[in-house]
Amino acid sequence: MTSLAYHQPDSLDRALTLLADTEGARCIAGGQTLVAMLNARLVEPPALVSLGRIAELGRIGRTAAGALRIGATVTHEAVADSENIGRDFPLIAQAARAIAHPPIRSFGTIGGAVAHGDPNADYPAALVASDAAIEIASRAGRRGVPAGEFFQDYLATALEPGDIVVAVVIPEPPPGARGLYLKFARVDGDYATLSVAAILAQRNGACEHIAVALGAAGPVPVRDRAAEAKLQGKRLSAAAIAEFGAALAARCDPVDDVRGSSAYRRGLVPGLVARALSGLGG
Amino acid sequence: MIQVELDVNGEREALALDGGQTLLDALRVRLGLTGTKLGCNQGVCGSCTVLIDGKPARSCLVLAVGCGGRKIVTIEGIADGAKPSVVQQAFIETGAVQCGYCTPGMILTAEALLRRHRRPSLDEIREALSGNLCRCSGYSKIVDAVKLASERMPV
Repeated sequence: MTSLAYHQPDSLDRALTLLADTEGARCIAGGQTLVAMLNARLVEPPALVSLGRIAELGRIGRTAAGALRIGATVTHEAVADSENIGRDFPLIAQAARAIAHPPIRSFGTIGGAVAHGDPNADYPAALVASDAAIEIASRAGRRGVPAGEFFQDYLATALEPGDIVVAVVIPEPPPGARGLYLKFARVDGDYATLSVAAILAQRNGACEHIAVALGAAGPVPVRDRAAEAKLQGKRLSAAAIAEFGAALAARCDPVDDVRGSSAYRRGLVPGLVARALSGLGG
Repeated sequence: MIQVELDVNGEREALALDGGQTLLDALRVRLGLTGTKLGCNQGVCGSCTVLIDGKPARSCLVLAVGCGGRKIVTIEGIADGAKPSVVQQAFIETGAVQCGYCTPGMILTAEALLRRHRRPSLDEIREALSGNLCRCSGYSKIVDAVKLASERMPV
């Protein structure tokens, strides 16, 4: 084993400096993916900068605009167990609860999950459907990147060297909206074969707001805003939902792997989208 | 090398560790606590489960240098001297041990569940154990054992 330096700064400024000082240094939060990658020698960074002692990264709060702000080192367990999040942001709470197993959820963090950029994970689709923003700190300052732009390719994100994910900001769903995370997996705790993150608001039988993103459906979460726009103000008939599902399926580019072939995954899309929308009263 | 003081089963152990060394490795190789098992080394199988501050944790996915100031409990630390813990006794009586490799992880996971929730339903037991694989496939008796232990836990 090569020697690996480990730093535990207690401020974000110090963490940014440490990260900039060593080329190839990586942040570590819960470690539930990164340590597995270290064990398998998929990554061999010269230094790790732990975010665990930076108090501001561990908080859950609301912005002045009423958005939910989840600090990067907040665990999946904390999000899944939060009554406020479960009540006001059920899609996010359900996605957190769908991640792996209890021991992973008690250490894995939302910041780590988004920074890893795995389209088969549970948070990315939920954040894209929620129109969330990823808040990033660098030595040049802070910036927010919409989730739909943050995830760029398989394990590739908008993060630049020296950047740290500090929070995820999720706007309040529109009035009357409901959210649902539907995960189709071979066994409990596995990665999704396909997942559907959906938010739906209806009034007098017509669709007021619809947002649907698919996980494990391609190199990034799949969302079709044009297809969503076509449903605005319409009644969600079986035919309209089938057309919407077909449009999403056409945009998917899933991988062939042990969880299912690409064609099988694409074939799941219309049915699971319809099931998710039906679960939301659509 | 980084100096760390680990609190394992109530004993403080000062160790010089590499930053990349997992808690699992430190427990087994440096402290000789081989009851915690190495399985997949990627967080899938659950055989390396220990308690960190009372929560079930994959010791293969936790770096030992990050464990300073946290309370770690392994399978060696849950009996009361020679007297097995309630969960251990239930595993013995139920015949929940086959080859035994997954047993320490199963027992620590069950300990964590029953400390938090004294009377879990069967579904809650199954969910709590869902991250622990038994390659003998002896799940029924393991669930029975946890159920028996839960009935014996003081409320």
